[in-house]
Amino acid sequence: MFDYILRRLVYTLITLFAVASILFVLFRMLPGEATMQVISPAMDPAVQERMKAAFGLDLPIWQQYFIYLQNLVTLEWGRSFVSAQEVTSVIAYRFWNTLLLMLTGLCLTLTVGIGCGIWMAWRRNGPLDVGGTIVGLIFQAAPPFITGLLLLMVLSYRLGLFPTGGMYPPGQRPDSLLELLIMPAFWERIVLPTITVGAYYLATPMLVMRDSMLEVLGSDYIELAKAKGLKPRIVMFRHAARNALLGVVTLASIMVGFAVGGQVVVESLFSWPGMGQLMVESAAAHDYPVAQGTFLMLAILVIGLNFLTDILYCYLDPRIKVSNTGLT
Amino acid sequence: MKRREFLKRTGALAGVAAVSGLPSLAHAAGKPVESMTLLTANAGFDPVRPEMGRLITQACKKIGWDVKLAAEDYNMGIGKVFNEKDFDMFIVRWTGRANRIDPETFTAMMHHRDGNYNKWGYNNSRVNELSDAQQVEMDPQKRRDLVLQIQETIYNDAASSPIVYPSMTNAYREDRLKGVVPQVGEGIGSLWTDIAATTTGGDGYIRTGQTSPLKNLNPVSVTDSNEFKELRMIYDRLLQVGPDGSIEPWAATAIKAVDSTTVDITLREGMTFHDGKPVTPADVKFTFDYHKQWKAPFFISSLEKFESVTITGKNTLRIKLTAPHAPLMINFFAQIFILPQHIWKDIPEKVNVDDVLKFANENPIGSGPFKFDYWDRGKELKVSANKSHFRAPKCAGIIRVTYGSHDAMAAAIEAGECDRTRYILKPALVEDLNKINGIVGKGYSSHGWYGFMFNHLRGPLQDPIFRAAIDHVVPRDVIQAVVMSGFADKGGSVIAPANEFWHNASLKARPSSTKKAREILAAAGYSWDSSDRLHYPA
Repeated sequence: MFDYILRRLVYTLITLFAVASILFVLFRMLPGEATMQVISPAMDPAVQERMKAAFGLDLPIWQQYFIYLQNLVTLEWGRSFVSAQEVTSVIAYRFWNTLLLMLTGLCLTLTVGIGCGIWMAWRRNGPLDVGGTIVGLIFQAAPPFITGLLLLMVLSYRLGLFPTGGMYPPGQRPDSLLELLIMPAFWERIVLPTITVGAYYLATPMLVMRDSMLEVLGSDYIELAKAKGLKPRIVMFRHAARNALLGVVTLASIMVGFAVGGQVVVESLFSWPGMGQLMVESAAAHDYPVAQGTFLMLAILVIGLNFLTDILYCYLDPRIKVSNTGLT
Repeated sequence: MKRREFLKRTGALAGVAAVSGLPSLAHAAGKPVESMTLLTANAGFDPVRPEMGRLITQACKKIGWDVKLAAEDYNMGIGKVFNEKDFDMFIVRWTGRANRIDPETFTAMMHHRDGNYNKWGYNNSRVNELSDAQQVEMDPQKRRDLVLQIQETIYNDAASSPIVYPSMTNAYREDRLKGVVPQVGEGIGSLWTDIAATTTGGDGYIRTGQTSPLKNLNPVSVTDSNEFKELRMIYDRLLQVGPDGSIEPWAATAIKAVDSTTVDITLREGMTFHDGKPVTPADVKFTFDYHKQWKAPFFISSLEKFESVTITGKNTLRIKLTAPHAPLMINFFAQIFILPQHIWKDIPEKVNVDDVLKFANENPIGSGPFKFDYWDRGKELKVSANKSHFRAPKCAGIIRVTYGSHDAMAAAIEAGECDRTRYILKPALVEDLNKINGIVGKGYSSHGWYGFMFNHLRGPLQDPIFRAAIDHVVPRDVIQAVVMSGFADKGGSVIAPANEFWHNASLKARPSSTKKAREILAAAGYSWDSSDRLHYPA
């Protein structure tokens, strides 16, 4: 078990190193000068040279690369070219904003999706199965900006039930995360983006759960459990659902990773200052330190969650044995 | 460049080309005019520009000239023009920033051979001479005469083609906000509205919407008008550009030119920074010296003209310039922010960075009419009224909120969550908002313009006659009425009518007429083949 975890950890670190290097190269391949966004290119060339020197962009590329790697290891992710703020503090703040939005959205989607998936498989070909599949696929096919816009139009602009956006009312920034969480205005503002995110992702866990359940329900041990006279509820949840969860667990870890970086549209629509918006802003602004930091953060999250999933598998499925070569 | 001069040069070039193999227009004699590309920002950045581009390219086809439209990412386009100089023509919006009230930007910087903006190779000796002369002419009336002549020469040369002078389209809640003061080029997003407006209820804060996020709070590294607009609430300047574009005293009660290279400044008495320390001439001297020491990007070229700054009295300073420089009043004294010496003297050392440009200044302390509360990057900035300021705001403060899009901002105004816009709101949305009770959607006078710019070093665009003909095909009527929803005037001179003092009123927009353009080209020897394709003069 320990060998396996160690091996996976080494693979994870190598992958992260590769991602970090690719990010460095990719951002420097972008057309246009880094200083272009910060300083108007129409200004004196001396001004641009001044900016480059301030942020080390006048150094040879290999030297910039080694400084970058060194900074990554020491967790000194530098300062934003645009705001001069520390990258770690900028990312940390935005990360929590996104996490709040995504966790509520994913909790909604996983709870509803898994619950519906179980019932749809149990009542296969029934009205819930057919109706659930159709609704889930409609939401998945509709881009989040359509769902979000419709929600905004009806519930916000027409009926005035929810605010149009933001995390808190203008001018009332809370001093801490706790203060934000106990602010009723925050919960009013998170409802619509949560529904938008939840609806978009709903079909995936729901259909995966349904398929896994159907597979499990055809197994001999389920027949045996039924033959033993166990209550249907116990067969469904304790014997079938638990085993069918494996697929959804893998999926959930991937969904969290993508959800953190993939909700640019929802964040823009609801003026939610999160990671997605930061990625777009910083990439467009050639703000290398922030852009690299946000993408790297995303990579750490996805790769880290995959690592945790591998370990979680061992716990969820006792049939999985660990050998020196990995899973058997 | 005059036509005769142009033809002479092309003739001379032909000789050079024969030896060196360089391309020349003389080689093109009688040949079809080559196809060219018109570069614009894409609709995501500015919905108006690709529309203008589409109309202009269609109009060019009507005179037998094939022009293709390339709507690209704004930054890539800017890079092609200003860094790589790889473009044929482009459309740009020269916004009506406060400092552009001074004619320097639209004359010398854009049209002098060595102007920083002049990446398009325009070179007219008369413009160069007049631009140099206006820079050192300290008498405003005499300077004005020179500027009027520059405009006329640029116009006759069709060096740049102002398409329209767009209004600053803003919207505000009339039922929430009283006493807005529009400023030329800035509309109701002005500092004058910040200090004069009041709210009719609530907490007294004016909720101000903007679609671009605030990027930086460092007054030394600031270069963008977005940041200038917010920092000027927190930091005082010596002068301000007034609502009508004139210069108004601010922290300085007087700035007097003793002679062409000596300027005396009298500082207002009784001013204090937000931490209670007094504002002194030493702070002003420190500000100049500090900006010079650290080569503050926006002020580098102005500060190069400073020979010395001396404190001459309790509230007075004397600046000695290396040479006369007329644009200094608006481009420098009405822009630079007064820094508190007791805070900045230890920066950057005290904040653990090696360069002041890396200082985030997350808790700015100035002496301006508003005190900093907080900045939530990407979301909002909150400042509260400094009631002890000599121009104390009437409202409780300003909350600047960043919205994801123009539509989101318009929706927030409609829902009553936002009181006014700081900057441009899409004309179509302004029209819609104006129909709602309690909301005013309006275009305010601006000295900015949408420009159709030419690469003077390429193909037919080297010929002033050709450029003038092209200027005639620009469908200004349609652009004004349809694309700009009426929130614009047709463009003529490079200095807009809104900038009354400097504008040359005799220069009118060339009327849109394909027939006229064809006549001009035909008179200059251009011809058309059987498929109506335009050819160079034989």
